[in-house]
Amino acid sequence: MISGNREDYLIEILRLTEGEGKVKTNDLADKLGVSPASVSEMIKVLSNDGFVTYTKYRGAELTPEGLSYAKQLRKKHHIMERFLTDVLDLDRDTAHEEAHKMEHVLSDDSAVRICRIIGTPVDDDCSSCESQCRAATGLGRISKKLSEMMQGDRGRISHLKCEEPKTVKKLISMGFVPGRDVCIGSNGSRSGPKVVTVGNATFALDSEMASFVYIEPSDD
Amino acid sequence: MQDGMFTAALLGQPNVGKSSLFTRLTGVGVISSNYAGTTVTFEEAVVTRKGNKVRIYDLPGTYGMSGNSDDEEVVLEMVRDPEIDSVIVVADATNLQSSLVLCFEVMELGLPMILAVNKADEARKKYDTDYKELERILDIPVVPVSAKTAEGVDDLADALCEGRGRRSTFQVRYEEHLEAAIEEIMGHLKKIRFDQRGTAVKLMEGTKTFIEGVMPATAQIASVLRDNFETGHRETSDIAIARERYSISDAIVRKVQSRTRTKFGRKDRLSEMMITPSTGIPILIAVGLMLFVTMIFLGSLLDEAVSYIYDALIGNTLVDFGADKGGEMGKAIMLGIDGSIRAILTLVIPYIMVFYIILGILEDTGYLPRAVVLVDRTMHHFGLHGGAFIPMIVGLGCNVPAIMAVRTIRSRREKLILTSLIVMCVPCSAQMAIIIGIVGKYSGFTYAFAILLILLALMVVLGLGLNRFLKYEPSNLAMEIPDLSAPSLKNVLFKTWNRIKDFFMIAFPLLVVGSILLEIALGYNLLDFVIGPLSFVTVGMLGLPAAVILAFIVGVLRKEMAVGMLAIIAASVGIMELASFMGPEQFFVFGLVMAIYMPCLATMAVIWREMGWKETLAVSILSIGTAIAIGMLANWLLFFF
Repeated sequence: MISGNREDYLIEILRLTEGEGKVKTNDLADKLGVSPASVSEMIKVLSNDGFVTYTKYRGAELTPEGLSYAKQLRKKHHIMERFLTDVLDLDRDTAHEEAHKMEHVLSDDSAVRICRIIGTPVDDDCSSCESQCRAATGLGRISKKLSEMMQGDRGRISHLKCEEPKTVKKLISMGFVPGRDVCIGSNGSRSGPKVVTVGNATFALDSEMASFVYIEPSDD
Repeated sequence: MQDGMFTAALLGQPNVGKSSLFTRLTGVGVISSNYAGTTVTFEEAVVTRKGNKVRIYDLPGTYGMSGNSDDEEVVLEMVRDPEIDSVIVVADATNLQSSLVLCFEVMELGLPMILAVNKADEARKKYDTDYKELERILDIPVVPVSAKTAEGVDDLADALCEGRGRRSTFQVRYEEHLEAAIEEIMGHLKKIRFDQRGTAVKLMEGTKTFIEGVMPATAQIASVLRDNFETGHRETSDIAIARERYSISDAIVRKVQSRTRTKFGRKDRLSEMMITPSTGIPILIAVGLMLFVTMIFLGSLLDEAVSYIYDALIGNTLVDFGADKGGEMGKAIMLGIDGSIRAILTLVIPYIMVFYIILGILEDTGYLPRAVVLVDRTMHHFGLHGGAFIPMIVGLGCNVPAIMAVRTIRSRREKLILTSLIVMCVPCSAQMAIIIGIVGKYSGFTYAFAILLILLALMVVLGLGLNRFLKYEPSNLAMEIPDLSAPSLKNVLFKTWNRIKDFFMIAFPLLVVGSILLEIALGYNLLDFVIGPLSFVTVGMLGLPAAVILAFIVGVLRKEMAVGMLAIIAASVGIMELASFMGPEQFFVFGLVMAIYMPCLATMAVIWREMGWKETLAVSILSIGTAIAIGMLANWLLFFF
């Protein structure tokens, strides 16, 4: 089991490495304001849990599990921070302090619900957010491209992503707007156009157009 | 106000029925079909009601007001016109959410407006709609109408003529950060044509036409605010704005319209069958075959009927009249004219009319967009997408509207490919009439069918070739699929008349005058200077009588005239029956060349306008060259086998 204190180490390693490369014990000790000895101690524990690998003289590195766990934590931190500043109107510093404590006790489910209230997940340095939100892995809320959905699938548009602003505008004007519900109608061949119902209107989008629209599939 | 007359514009999303409503309101006929984008240019008409005159414009359908496509540009430009006193936003009662979003956009621009909610009759079957409540919320006159049954059209006309359109006080409130940005921009806006807030919202959306319309400094501020929003929210401001509009629109619709779960009905099952390849492709082939078989059978039947009626009514009157007044010369002239009138009548009424009736039915059912889904992948091999299918089908009627429909395609390369294919490989109704009515009659239907197959093969070769030859640009299909609906006989007949009336009004008189002139010229051998030098093409390459060149030349004016010309040429060499003028193979070669070669004058004009003179020249030369080459090949093959 990971305690609050260990989670702080994981987040700090993530902040220092962004998931790539290793971090020296001394750097970590500096950041966290603890002695290098306690850092070594904690790294042992974390590597026993399978969250980091440690190489002597070179430093600690997050394992894939450690990375996703740390990112999820940081995500929760940002969600709380955002909630405290935007909804409760706290100042940034206080919000950061409190979020720092809350991140450890917030459940995945509550994180997603708060996310919904404050709108689109907003993150300043959570790179996982750019394409899809992994804050709630395991809840089946990962958005996928409209082009990858199958006949009869339903869901809600989470976001649009395309380099070409004109194409985005076109999709918006046709009603492909985040928050709206979609349903995939009969689609012929796999690579053929998708027939999508959004609101009460039905459109045919070819697979490239459909790949710009991201959908959060609904449960049923 | 324009010429002291109250002026209004009909504006709405594609396929909500603006054109039908326009026709109902004004009695001026515009062509409407059950798919998006039937109107590419705008029509105007004047309505008089209780002594008030109102001028109405029918604008092309737009999903939004962002100036994102040519159509949206046109519409934005139009509503910016200070002469427009009122905008009638046409909404679709069965798809109110999207319609209201467009309505919000018009409201934001501060235009006086009336909301006409069309398809009210259809919506009534599915939901209860509280139009009074909608009117209260939106703070503009809301009139439920049905262009189909004419319900509410009088109320709309009254509302319009009494000048009841007004600026709404309803305002879409966006989320805090957007509102702050909008307010900041508003502080910098001075002397603008539209509503200040509306302009600020448009700037925040990043709408090009508005950005270009304000001071560079203001545009710069807006650009910074947009960037800030995007970094802070991980979402571009235009998406955020659209999201808010839709959520407000959804909330309003929930309030005014009862929700009934729509059942998966017979229509949906049929629609699904049309789209799923395993059932859809057989349906597509069946529809195609039905089109040709009906044209052939119904066409020949009508052909005989028309000949019979002509004989009964006119008979030899013309020829006798000629002989009476002008002796041998007069008789020869009148024989030619009689023959050409006969040829035209027996061609146009049966084949062209039958085709347009079937096309009208196909358009109104909403089948075409479904066929688009089926053919999309195939079209990609030609560098086109499925959407190109509709202009091609329209091209089976006439190339002019087909090439105008090409306008909705953005990429230049696609325009060029599609235009070439339509000009060369899609026979227009006049060409089809030649193929079925002349080649079918004098050479047999096997030959007629062979021409169609050759055209199809040419389309494949040309499409693949042009796709390879022209630099690649991506093209994407995004098209609305309307509900299937039963065609109305009235609309089909109305469209058919609209499409063939030109023929009677323009082509027919032109033909009669032209025939007389040519007949005289032929009688005095005045045209030998054309026939002689070009005989190396007609006689040498194509194996046709030298004078047939005149039919080809006249065919550039209008394709139907070539047929009348044949009769005149035959008469000038003393042959009364076309059947004995050329052999079956010659008719085949003639039909084949006619089907491929040169766009007619009207088509060239429209290609010129839509694309430029270089493209017009290129397409014309390519088509003449191909036509002669294929005609020559056919002539040789027929000679040797």
